[in-house]
Amino acid sequence: MTEGISKRIYRIQFALLSPEEIRKMSQIKIITADTYDDDGYPIERGLMDLHLGVIEPGLKCATCGGKVDECPGHFGHIELAMPVVHVGFIKEIKTFLDATCKRCGRIKLTEDEKKAYLQRINALNNENSDIDSMSLLVKRITDEASSRTVCPYCDAQQIKVILDKPTTFREEGIKVTPKEIRERLERIPDEDLIFFGMNRTAARPEWMVLTVLPVPPINVRPSITLDTGERSEDDLTHKLVDIIRISQRLRESRDNGSPQLIIEDLWDLLQFHVTTYFDNQTAGIPPARHRSGRALKTLVQRLKGKEGRFRSNLSGKRVNFSARTVISPEPFLSVNEVGVPELAARELTVPMTVNRFNIETAREFVKAGPAPRDQFGRYLPGVNYILRPDGRRIKVTKENADENSKRIDIGWSVERQLAEGDIVLFNRQPSLHRMSMMGHTVRILSGRTFRFNLAVCTPYNADFDGDEMNLHILQKEEARAEARIIMKVQEQMLSPRFGGPIIGGIHDHITAMFLLTHNNPLYSEEETVHMLSFVDVDEMPDHEIINGKKFYRGRDIFSTILPKGFNIKFRSKLCSGAGEKCEYEDRIEDKDVFIKDGKMLTGTIDEASIGPFSGVIIEKIYKKFGPHEGARFVDRMTRLAVGFLSTRGFSTGITDYDIPEEAVKSIAETSRKALEKIGTLIDSYNKGLLEPMPGRSLEETLEMEILGVTGEARDESGKIASAQLGLSNPSVIMARSGARAKMLNISEVAGMVGQQSVRGGRINRGYTQRTLPHFSWGDIGAEARGFVESSYKQGLNPLEYFLHSIGGREGLVDIAVRTSRSGYMQRRLINAFEDLKVDDSRRVADTVGAIIQFKYGEDGIDPTRSDMGKTLDLNYIEFDQKESAEA
Amino acid sequence: MKYLIFRDSKRNMESLMKKAPCGYAVDFSPGKENSPDAILVTTDSKNAIYRIEYSSIKKYSDDENIVKKVSKGLKSTIMIDGVKGIDPIPLASFTFKKGASLIKDKFIVGSMETMDGITKESAMENVSDVTVEIMNDALKAGADIPFSLASELATLKKKVSKKEFSEIFQRSIAEFKQREIDPYEAVGIIAAQSIGEPGTQMTMRTFHFAGVREMNVTLGLPRLIEIVDARRVPSTPSMTIYLRHEYEQSREVVEKVMREIENTTLIDVCELETDISEMTVTVKPIPNRLRERLVSGEDIFNVVSDPKTLKGAIVMEREKGNEVTVKPQQESFKNLYKLQEQLKSLTIKGIPGIKRAIARNEKGAWVIYTQGSNFRDIIEKVEEIDATRTYTNDIMEIYNVLGVEAVRNAIYLESERTLSEQGLEVDQRHLMLVADMMTFSGNVRAVGRQGISGKKSSVLARAAFEITTKHLLKAGISGEVDALNGVAENIIVGQPITLGTGSVNLVYKGFGSK
Repeated sequence: MTEGISKRIYRIQFALLSPEEIRKMSQIKIITADTYDDDGYPIERGLMDLHLGVIEPGLKCATCGGKVDECPGHFGHIELAMPVVHVGFIKEIKTFLDATCKRCGRIKLTEDEKKAYLQRINALNNENSDIDSMSLLVKRITDEASSRTVCPYCDAQQIKVILDKPTTFREEGIKVTPKEIRERLERIPDEDLIFFGMNRTAARPEWMVLTVLPVPPINVRPSITLDTGERSEDDLTHKLVDIIRISQRLRESRDNGSPQLIIEDLWDLLQFHVTTYFDNQTAGIPPARHRSGRALKTLVQRLKGKEGRFRSNLSGKRVNFSARTVISPEPFLSVNEVGVPELAARELTVPMTVNRFNIETAREFVKAGPAPRDQFGRYLPGVNYILRPDGRRIKVTKENADENSKRIDIGWSVERQLAEGDIVLFNRQPSLHRMSMMGHTVRILSGRTFRFNLAVCTPYNADFDGDEMNLHILQKEEARAEARIIMKVQEQMLSPRFGGPIIGGIHDHITAMFLLTHNNPLYSEEETVHMLSFVDVDEMPDHEIINGKKFYRGRDIFSTILPKGFNIKFRSKLCSGAGEKCEYEDRIEDKDVFIKDGKMLTGTIDEASIGPFSGVIIEKIYKKFGPHEGARFVDRMTRLAVGFLSTRGFSTGITDYDIPEEAVKSIAETSRKALEKIGTLIDSYNKGLLEPMPGRSLEETLEMEILGVTGEARDESGKIASAQLGLSNPSVIMARSGARAKMLNISEVAGMVGQQSVRGGRINRGYTQRTLPHFSWGDIGAEARGFVESSYKQGLNPLEYFLHSIGGREGLVDIAVRTSRSGYMQRRLINAFEDLKVDDSRRVADTVGAIIQFKYGEDGIDPTRSDMGKTLDLNYIEFDQKESAEA
Repeated sequence: MKYLIFRDSKRNMESLMKKAPCGYAVDFSPGKENSPDAILVTTDSKNAIYRIEYSSIKKYSDDENIVKKVSKGLKSTIMIDGVKGIDPIPLASFTFKKGASLIKDKFIVGSMETMDGITKESAMENVSDVTVEIMNDALKAGADIPFSLASELATLKKKVSKKEFSEIFQRSIAEFKQREIDPYEAVGIIAAQSIGEPGTQMTMRTFHFAGVREMNVTLGLPRLIEIVDARRVPSTPSMTIYLRHEYEQSREVVEKVMREIENTTLIDVCELETDISEMTVTVKPIPNRLRERLVSGEDIFNVVSDPKTLKGAIVMEREKGNEVTVKPQQESFKNLYKLQEQLKSLTIKGIPGIKRAIARNEKGAWVIYTQGSNFRDIIEKVEEIDATRTYTNDIMEIYNVLGVEAVRNAIYLESERTLSEQGLEVDQRHLMLVADMMTFSGNVRAVGRQGISGKKSSVLARAAFEITTKHLLKAGISGEVDALNGVAENIIVGQPITLGTGSVNLVYKGFGSK
């Protein structure tokens, strides 16, 4: 291990390579187009010359003497027989040729003009303005210079240069050779370069025409040995072979005086190869192909796009010390924990640098060997490797553990296996927000999956239908400290998006808490003890004695998990789920949750209290008592929910949707009426009696009317059905408490599925003038356009089933389109905003120093810690103060 | 020597003042006074002061003392010698009719009376002393609380006892301080994530009904993308037009305004019949549509027969009813076709761009919703409307007519509206940051390679976003230097980024040292 010298790069200067520089940095001039000889040994002065670096173990670099991992690789160079232009700079070359005199090489501006422009350029440079204004000015200058037809200095008449894409220049139809171009560019004086936006210290225009080509090190283009022993060269090597071959032939032809035509053809060919070597997707030329027909991946292709060097290898990197596996739930873990399978824990290590304080601990770890267990056979962290101060790695085995534990000394490093309590990062892709990667403490579990508390599903947006997640082991103390203080789940319980909780009870948690508190039921001592055994309670809640037996109230049981001194009063969502008239309209006892000093007095706990996004109880506990209490509440709440449900049981089935015969009849009646109504509408449309809505055509009006009718029919039948299903029905309990599904879904199962739609209208495509071949042409009736009058419970008839599938498909397509579109939008947003930060005086500035806001969010409040967006919830403070004073 | 006074916002003025006197010209004929482009304000023996619109000032190039027209359509041009007098004109004064000289006076006075807006002073009058006191107390305690919180505290002060209030106040200040944003927080990324993350939950359906059943408006994800893209024209431009309070309740005025603004072209109300043998086009009005669009046959005849509108055509006759036959001056199929096309797009009445207007009565007041938008013409040409409340969803139009500050609010409002319509909760601070970032440079910059991302100072950051090679090659010839200040660059180089905990350095005191 090398010493931790912290270096910092302060700036990076970009420039062009001059021919001299290319030669200077080159270790060897490449002259042979071959790579390896028959023995598989690199040919000297060939493209795989040993001077360029080594990729095969056993060989040594001829330049630096390093072995495979030590030698960084070295450049070589090719002397091109004739100059060729660089494709990337074609536009710039054109500007240079246009704006300078072809004879004297000076920019076609008078001295006065130059002076004036120079002033403006300097002004722009001093202003440090953005690149765009500079390139605009350059464009203006060069445009003006280009429009001159006579050189102001030597009075030479100028001929217009035409760019014949991609790389040929012509003057009055005659080709201008790269050699001539280079000569012209050489004539441009240094002081004129500034008008082209070129920096003399970085570049000279003639460097854009290549005479020497750098040959990248072998490490950049390694050859692969296939299983058959055959060698396969990198695309770049192939391209370089082509270039050397043609360059040689061109040199020979030129030297032995071949006809001009042949020379020109070879020159063009060389230009083609060099062009495709840089960019194999240049417009106007066919891409160079591999023998198999696959287009070669050359320099530009290596850098560009999502799989290119920049986005794939530089902005994001592959890491070690990580694990990935399927996830599954574990209600007995805290939200702060993650269950790691033993198998993974044995592989994942944490480095420990041995010093005089920890040498004994380190020795003990090493002594335990690579797979220690305690006397009960439980996991204990062992050591896989130890590192000597010189960086050599020693594998620890059961046999050498004892000996190795004695060997280690200060300065050594011990790679200890993952232990319980280690903090790790846990992540699920897509990482759409910062809660997609949080810090958890490790619990080692048997099995092969990662496990965590169900309340953490929401921030990760995870479910257990086969989702996989990633685990990262932190390697440095700084990282561990940051993870513990900033990234830990309990620190991330509030979402910066809306300032409310993003972690909360889901599904069964809500159902359980709802049942526990709704109507404040009584539980026997036995039941209560069972429930509370899931939670670490110190004392039993208050009890009532009925018939000589102890009974406990649901709300009192719930109160055991509330922190002392907690006050809140709010309305539960009990009534918002109901139809037009709620049966709890006047029952404050059920509707309004009132908690005083950690004791729940009235109300019903539902999604609005403990759910993610809306749970006010979680939010207020977190804000008043801090992250630790917040997480503790969620932990205990989820455990209590499991405990409660294991006494009572909760399930739903198809029989829960049974409704009486009369109700079925009246639903059928509703659908009959709707069909009738649609029939009359269509009739009046056919007769031309329908009055169009303003701004709508007759057809649109009809469609809207029919949609209205079908919607009404579904609502009506839903009402009829749900009137039969009260709060004793498990599905209704789930819907009303907000645990899962909406009343709409229940009415779809018990009442009527209703109108299927595509693009917001009735289904109207498929076959010519009809949706399915079972209908007659031009049928626009209800059934033919996707009205499903059956309920899911009754079952759909074949026609309804097909139409329902059409509607369902749209949803799937929609999701596919949406994810890609919103993904790109988010990428753009992140890219545009990543540099913004709040500075010391709470202004928002970017990294260059431009101020975007003088006070962040106009009040300087962190949205995460705001009260659902509000600066401060004064009403709650007032209420809390009053209640606390009373208590 | 001519001086010019401009009619524009102070901000634009200042930027112009800096640049003047070089680089700008204005299309202007000195002889023709009081053209809508320029209004003579005062003349003395030497100077004439004109007031012109900022938008009519164009760039010019001064080549050998010849004013060169850079922008197209400049007929006669004068150079700007200097800029004098900056007085922003209230929005209401923009309502003027062509060539009306009375405006000249209004301009000089520049009274604010016509506006509903609140000046800073009048806003301060409404602030009670108690509120100010609370704000000062808070400031003393080290918390710069916003006005809204202070006024809430002020109302609370009246309600509760002194002791109670002091307790609440203490706690509020403590909580406020604890809630303040941490320095070096990466607020940009948080904002971007907060807006991007719910994107996956939004509907893609482009069309939806908003308020008015008869009209379609783009909503959901496509609309959000449209806003951050700062598109020049939204896919469904629409306006909400309010009338002045005195007309608000009158049905007649609403109908009149609607008739006035709704753009009706010939093809909307007529059928065109082309007779190839006779080389004529016959315009046949459709009575239904005429009624619907409130157009009379007379109107059509007037428009068609107006020699100014139809050039190179002869109006033949007016037949039974309202049918009109038109013939090209020079008979040829090409001309006939041209004529037909010309007729199709002939405007009978209304304001260009307003395809349809629908009035709705909301709480006793009439509101007009339009399909299509033309903010400038509506607020300038229609007398009855209330310019202070009239709104368009075309963000760039707001920028062009009202300026950056207005467009900043428009971006915020539109994105807020789009998100809340989808039932998604996103903190307003994030949206404000987006709006500010898009507008802080003085013009609207889109989120993406054309705008903010493409103008980053770092080569590596630009290369990592999009169009990699172009940026690298360009950096090579101009010898650009990447100062490695931003986030993307430092990640590429493999260094800690400069946000959050990366922007501070920890110094270890060492063991045993003091």
